[in-house]
Amino acid sequence: MNEKSNAVLTVGFFTVIILIFTIADWLTGDRIYSENENRMLATRPKFSAETLLDGSFMEDYETYVTDQFVGRDTWVELKTRGDVLLQKKVINGVYLGEDDYLIEQHLSKDIKQEDVDKKIALLNGLVEKYGAKAMLIPTADNILSDKLPFQAEYFDQKQFLDRVEEVIGEENLINVYDTLKAHAREDIYYRTDHHWTTLGAYYGYVVWKKQAGNTAVITFDPDHLTTVTDEFLGTLHSKLNLPHRKDSIQTFPETMLKQPMITYDFQTVTYTYYEEKYLDTKNKYGYFLDDNHPFIEIETGYRRGRELVLLKNSYANCLVPLLANHYDKIYMIDLRYYNGKLDNLVDQYMTPGTDMLVLYDCIHFIEDFNYYK
Amino acid sequence: MVFSSVLFLFRFLPIFFILYFMTYLWPAARRMRNVILLLGSLFFYAWGEPVYVVLLLFSTLSDYVHGRLIGRFRERKVLAKVLLFTSILINLGVLGFFKYADFLLQGVNQLAGTNLPLFELPLPIGISFYTFQTMSYTIDVYRGEAKVQKNLLNFGVFVTMFPQLIAGPIVRYVDVQDDLRDHHGSIEDISYGIRRFIVGLAKKVLLANNLGLLWEEVLAVGPDNLNVLLGWLGIMAFAFQIYFDFSGYSDMAIGLGAIMGFRFPENFKYPYISCSVTEFWRRWHMTLGQWFRDYVYIPLGGNRKGLGRQVLNILIVWMLTGIWHGANWNFLLWGLWFAFFLILEKVGFGGLLDYLPKIYGFFYTALVVLLGWVIFAIEDMNGILTYVKAMFGFGAAGLYNGNALFLLKEYAVLLLVAVAASVPLVNTVANRLKKGGSGLAIAVRRFLEKVIPAVLLLASIAYIVDASYNPFLYFRF
Repeated sequence: MNEKSNAVLTVGFFTVIILIFTIADWLTGDRIYSENENRMLATRPKFSAETLLDGSFMEDYETYVTDQFVGRDTWVELKTRGDVLLQKKVINGVYLGEDDYLIEQHLSKDIKQEDVDKKIALLNGLVEKYGAKAMLIPTADNILSDKLPFQAEYFDQKQFLDRVEEVIGEENLINVYDTLKAHAREDIYYRTDHHWTTLGAYYGYVVWKKQAGNTAVITFDPDHLTTVTDEFLGTLHSKLNLPHRKDSIQTFPETMLKQPMITYDFQTVTYTYYEEKYLDTKNKYGYFLDDNHPFIEIETGYRRGRELVLLKNSYANCLVPLLANHYDKIYMIDLRYYNGKLDNLVDQYMTPGTDMLVLYDCIHFIEDFNYYK
Repeated sequence: MVFSSVLFLFRFLPIFFILYFMTYLWPAARRMRNVILLLGSLFFYAWGEPVYVVLLLFSTLSDYVHGRLIGRFRERKVLAKVLLFTSILINLGVLGFFKYADFLLQGVNQLAGTNLPLFELPLPIGISFYTFQTMSYTIDVYRGEAKVQKNLLNFGVFVTMFPQLIAGPIVRYVDVQDDLRDHHGSIEDISYGIRRFIVGLAKKVLLANNLGLLWEEVLAVGPDNLNVLLGWLGIMAFAFQIYFDFSGYSDMAIGLGAIMGFRFPENFKYPYISCSVTEFWRRWHMTLGQWFRDYVYIPLGGNRKGLGRQVLNILIVWMLTGIWHGANWNFLLWGLWFAFFLILEKVGFGGLLDYLPKIYGFFYTALVVLLGWVIFAIEDMNGILTYVKAMFGFGAAGLYNGNALFLLKEYAVLLLVAVAASVPLVNTVANRLKKGGSGLAIAVRRFLEKVIPAVLLLASIAYIVDASYNPFLYFRF
């Protein structure tokens, strides 16, 4: 073979590579939603003289083409493998921790003190107005700090919780930091997801019960935890898209002793905390209370003479089945999705004998907590 | 449109080259190449600058007309000179208005305490590059070094050609005047061009972007909290980022040019192995250095009018070089910083360096260049001072901290790859293989020639698809 035919071969080889992907990309249809990334993908932008001249059509078109590029998830996996090859320990904002833990990275530099103070002041407003209590759950990077890579930084949530305690008063904060830390060797966080596990929620529940002085009808025993799936690959896995040890999702059988009646957004009624259908999807954590809803009303089936208004994010979903036996009714409000005025809603439910609990993980509390829309 | 995007690689590139290579099918279609190239380039530019594409066309037309007039009136010395003058005035006027007007107004406002309003216009993409290219044409026509281009299409192709329109290399008209009329990439040219393009793409996407993340991390710490280790780590990351970003872009441009049979000048020659600042500037952004040498330094008298005049000329050229990189004081300072060392080397230090073992020259140059990058990358004076202090242990935050160790470990492999990629090692091995005449050596080379670019291409696509982090640094200029 002479140099000329070698060149022909080289040109042909790379032409084919480019054309294969171009044609494959052209032939595959658009996806609306990426299950892996848990977000809507960009769609073909509308063309107009205005969007053409200000350049927004071109920008949107680029986002669209990149979002819809053929084999998107495989490319992301390939990129992660590249990073692993380069010995990187933090990839797409996720630490590759020891013992197969993927741990979301939260850095102090990304968190502004003034935002923190603002959120705490908002919380304090609820404490003063409704006697709310708060349970702000530290994320895995703080509790599992021993499993982080060498010298990996994290936003110190113990200090943050001390600050919250200072403002709203010790008696109003259910501080689970030390308890979770004491159980750090157990599986209290998922290895592939940013949530705490049912066991983690149980330890949180124990602290809550003790502090609230509530008497429980039911005793939960961690030895009874039942695995409903061991095929769970969560959100942190999605950010890397590498093959990884799978997580189990567990429940306490004691939570099913009484059948609850659950009304989602004043419409759909079900009779269980656990939605089996999610176990066949990527979003298996949605098993707990049907993923995210702006408003959920639960009739627990218990007669305890008390009700609970719960302002929460998804960390609460696996805890609520444990709280149920303390209340007749629980109203769960997810402020990210709830668009009405909070006061109107809450005043309707906050009768004497109703508790209010604010339950978030510390990071999302700082990022998302807001009831002024 | 940037080269390192899905849009370019899997939309523009295939469609453009399918159209372009259709002209290979009929001998008569050969004349269509420039039409396709011009339309493709205008589309490419308008995609990013739907409005300022008009400015590009205006520049093209102005220099085309001036070129023809200067050619026509070459015998009438005064008139030719006036025409050259108006051509330069228009070019510098456009560049000055878009790039420096606000900077000057701010300066006036500060000095005189006035409150003149600023224009606040965005800088048209690539304007610094294409005005320099077109100026080379009219000046060379005036000097009789370039032939007058009578064909507007051919001239339009010279100015707007998409491979180097946006970020260089700065192609002088004389370098491509013959190719413009009739360009034809042989199959070897195309093969070389593809591989060169992929190498550039990988430099940009795999090295520059990822090292840029390290620099961002250090920047986010802020100059006040920097320690020694972070300071050095950060500026080294920036040095590699800007090198691989810019030289990667040049590689892509040269590669795309080669596919169409153009031979663009080289722009970088392993700058970081230089053993003097003079040598560094012979290896870094070579086409810009040559441009200033040919059109400013030598016309000013260069080194032919005595040392005093030479020193002045160096100062002028380097102030201009600095300010070419951006309308801000720090770029002026950056130019003067290099002028100082270039003059130092001219008046004797260079001779001294020649006597010392090369390693001294290397570390001296590295230090000057790295400190230069601090001036370049951090735009305010206080920040620059604080950063440099921290590098030498006079900062508030000491020698190192956990974060510095984490980042060092996190980026150690990438930094080693960057070092390996910025010395001639790989090229030397490749050349040795090329010379090796044995059947095995040829087979190995031919195999690697395909596999390595293929791996680099796939890896680059993966990082492009994954990343929202994909800015071209040199778009600011």
